[in-house]
Amino acid sequence: MRQVLTTAIDAAADAGASYVDVRVVEGLSETLSTRGANVEGLDRSESLGYGVRVLRNGAWGYAASPRLDLEEVARIARVAVEVAEASSAAQTRPVELVDEPVHSGAWATPMERDPFSVSLEEKLGLLLESSESLERVRGVRVGRGTMDLHRQRIWFLTSEGTDLDQTIVNVGAGIEATAVDDEDVQQRSYPGSFRGHFEAGGYDIIERMDLAGHAEQTGEEAHALLQAPECPAGTTTLVLDGHQVMLQVHESVGHPTELDRVLGMEAAFAGTSFVGIPDLGSLRYGSEHVTIQSDATSPGGLGTYGYDDEGVEAQRVDLVREGILVGFQSSRETAARVGAARSNGTMRAEGWENFPLIRMPNINLLPGSGSLHDLIADVDEGVFMSTNKSWSIDDKRKNFQFGCEIGWEIKHGKLTRLVKNPRYTGITPVFWGSCDAVAGPEEWRMHGTPNCGKGQPGQTMRVGHGTAPARFRNVSVGVSQ
Amino acid sequence: MSRDTAGILVDHADARRAAEAVLDWPGADDVEVTVTSSRTGLTRFARSEIIQNTVRNEVRAYVRVVKGQQVATTVTTQLDSEHMERAAESALQAALQSRPDDDWPGLPNPDVVGIAEGCWRYDDATAAAAPQARSEQVIRLLAAAEADNVAGVFETSAHSFSVLSSAGMNCADAHTRCVTTCLVDTGDATGWGDDSSHRIDHVDAEGTARRALDKAKRGAGATDAPPGRYQVVLEPSAVATMLEYLSYCGMGAKQFGDGESFLVGQIGKQLAAPSVTLADDVWHEGSVGIGFDFEGVPKKRVSVIDRGIATGPVTDWRTSRKLNLELTGHYSGSTEFGPYAAHLVLEPGRESLDQLIAGVDNGLLVTRFHYVNVLDRPTTLLTGMTRDGTFRIRDGEVAGPVHNFRFAHSVIDALRSTSGVGRDLVAFAPDYGSFGCTVAPALRVEDFNFASTTSH
Repeated sequence: MRQVLTTAIDAAADAGASYVDVRVVEGLSETLSTRGANVEGLDRSESLGYGVRVLRNGAWGYAASPRLDLEEVARIARVAVEVAEASSAAQTRPVELVDEPVHSGAWATPMERDPFSVSLEEKLGLLLESSESLERVRGVRVGRGTMDLHRQRIWFLTSEGTDLDQTIVNVGAGIEATAVDDEDVQQRSYPGSFRGHFEAGGYDIIERMDLAGHAEQTGEEAHALLQAPECPAGTTTLVLDGHQVMLQVHESVGHPTELDRVLGMEAAFAGTSFVGIPDLGSLRYGSEHVTIQSDATSPGGLGTYGYDDEGVEAQRVDLVREGILVGFQSSRETAARVGAARSNGTMRAEGWENFPLIRMPNINLLPGSGSLHDLIADVDEGVFMSTNKSWSIDDKRKNFQFGCEIGWEIKHGKLTRLVKNPRYTGITPVFWGSCDAVAGPEEWRMHGTPNCGKGQPGQTMRVGHGTAPARFRNVSVGVSQ
Repeated sequence: MSRDTAGILVDHADARRAAEAVLDWPGADDVEVTVTSSRTGLTRFARSEIIQNTVRNEVRAYVRVVKGQQVATTVTTQLDSEHMERAAESALQAALQSRPDDDWPGLPNPDVVGIAEGCWRYDDATAAAAPQARSEQVIRLLAAAEADNVAGVFETSAHSFSVLSSAGMNCADAHTRCVTTCLVDTGDATGWGDDSSHRIDHVDAEGTARRALDKAKRGAGATDAPPGRYQVVLEPSAVATMLEYLSYCGMGAKQFGDGESFLVGQIGKQLAAPSVTLADDVWHEGSVGIGFDFEGVPKKRVSVIDRGIATGPVTDWRTSRKLNLELTGHYSGSTEFGPYAAHLVLEPGRESLDQLIAGVDNGLLVTRFHYVNVLDRPTTLLTGMTRDGTFRIRDGEVAGPVHNFRFAHSVIDALRSTSGVGRDLVAFAPDYGSFGCTVAPALRVEDFNFASTTSH
């Protein structure tokens, strides 16, 4: 790979680039899915290619290819410079990058058991046992098991001298029961929806999930939801489990604090942000119970790495401290634009094909104190909702609506009646302002969402969120038609 | 089977050469190789300047290996014989460790399923568009937008697709695409325009900018309107988004067979207004796509709703055999997901947009939707926001801009209460990837639920 990296750097520099970085990315993934006693999908994917990013005349150019012969590599590097020249024709001010120390070295995801060293027979056996168990539960029409394993090795070289070699491994697995009757279809999943629970690390993470051991309860809850009443509508106290808090943090804190969105760079597609640069240090984003960090160093996070995709060292920074907005996620370009001294290292690209963007690493809600039980015990009347099912938020990240798989009414500090289709809606700073408790470290867990979309061309990113259950007062729940 | 496609990254001869290295792989009973390639140039602008500009060459070979009833697939980005052979052996070893698939129908045989023809919506000039050409389009667009906060893309791409198999499949198609979008933000309001075609010379960047500017100007001074149920005119972009989510809610035979589709129990029944005819039709003159599915099965026009009557899901080789339904050629590439309708066409009606608006006493005009998601799949209940141009209609005329709404409404209920269908069709490219196209007119819907509002 060394020759590919240096050939691209040299060719782009010869063509007039003032800055060059090259990423060679080798990806390996396995996607397994079972349905009852059958294997429904067994796919492996190997990907190898490179992307060359350049600055010429103060404008960006990017070109990517899977062809690794050196003649093609040099040509692609020259194409990147040609693209940058074209960009500069419609540029009002040149791109500037804040300084970053030159880094050299290797980094790898810590793990106990390499998921790619485990036999397919063992992996399929685990999923089949779970999905067969699901379909034995009365009322369950479809029982599914899924497993997703990813490894990415990234070689990165810049014209400034940064020279890195990283290997990142992510795993995920889950089960899902679909119960159907003449009137309704309901789903219940474990440990999380949308293909399960995801973390960075080895196969031991999946083994600890005990999918088969949770199949019976998961199936029974899906069946019970068919007969459950709809979640009543009204304004009440809402307790969310950690999985739903993950999505709430993701959509209403993670995205609005991406500096490219704040600066309008994502306006036409994903939208902008209700937060502005002048809000830093003064905007009340939430209550004093709300402290949220961007942390690319969190153990087990899908957004944990040694360096981002422009060679900036992984960092932990506060975004919201005791309810006040105090930080943004940034890149070398956006940090320069707002006068910051350093990027906080959140630029990532999907594969070799794509231009890196500001992507959430791990956006973590710091724990408070007490257990989920304690949170519920302090509610006279309310709803507890678990496991994300749907999400939607406006183009400034203010008006949101979420749905969960399952809910229980809370009466006098105890969970009572099961309810289906629980949903809630709110306005971001009002909602976080109504947070009066976050559960403690014993309930705090790293979650992951493997399918965060952003950018054009569209890129999908794996993002982590450390969260604990949390409680919110005076929330509009049960919203529907 | 193959045509001249200047500027294509991998032509059918390249794909065949790669496939032939593994079609008779030792130990396998059958092998299928699907080769896709894309060359995409995308110039992205925001704050009225180019902010990102990329050229991407992408190649994928999907090698599916069959041993008895055991099946697995390995994907590679490298077409040389060494990588293709490694992919075939990887897939074979995975298949051998899998369980027999009782429903495996075998690879489709062209003698049985028919020989696929390509659509060949391919334009050499679009494929050959250079970075400078895209920049020039952006400069013209920015000038026409007359604002200092304009964002969007100008994209050109060329895509090839080949399926070859040991069962005799041997088909190819290629298409090009040009897409431009434009968001004008005047500070007081935003406006939206977009345009797409398989031909760059059919895409009007300046006209797109002028439409966005006009929307933004008319959106100035927006006021609050109460949430509630309204008559609504949905412009084609909003209709296309709604239809794409309707497809996700169960136009495929797998969801239908599993009881998860909105079509379950509805076939032959009046599901929508008689003015609504919805088909999946890659062959429609406004659509862009390939003429066969991911197994090489010829793609048919499938009426999903015919004059309001539910007429059936789309199928693939596997589900058509299992459910005894007509084979329509809609394999998505995933057995887990099943067949998919990705080239929807809602048949046009007779009314202009002004005529649709004239039929509204007290309602809303929606330019487009944002961040839509499914709340309940069987009932096709969606939620999402309006953006970039939401207006009050009173007494048949647009009466001024209003702040954006969150809607919560069933697509089927909207199609059931449709009272007018626009005469002008607009084609929309997908937000993600190259696959799919939706062709839609505007609609007038008598009853549409807006659940809450926002402050912009």
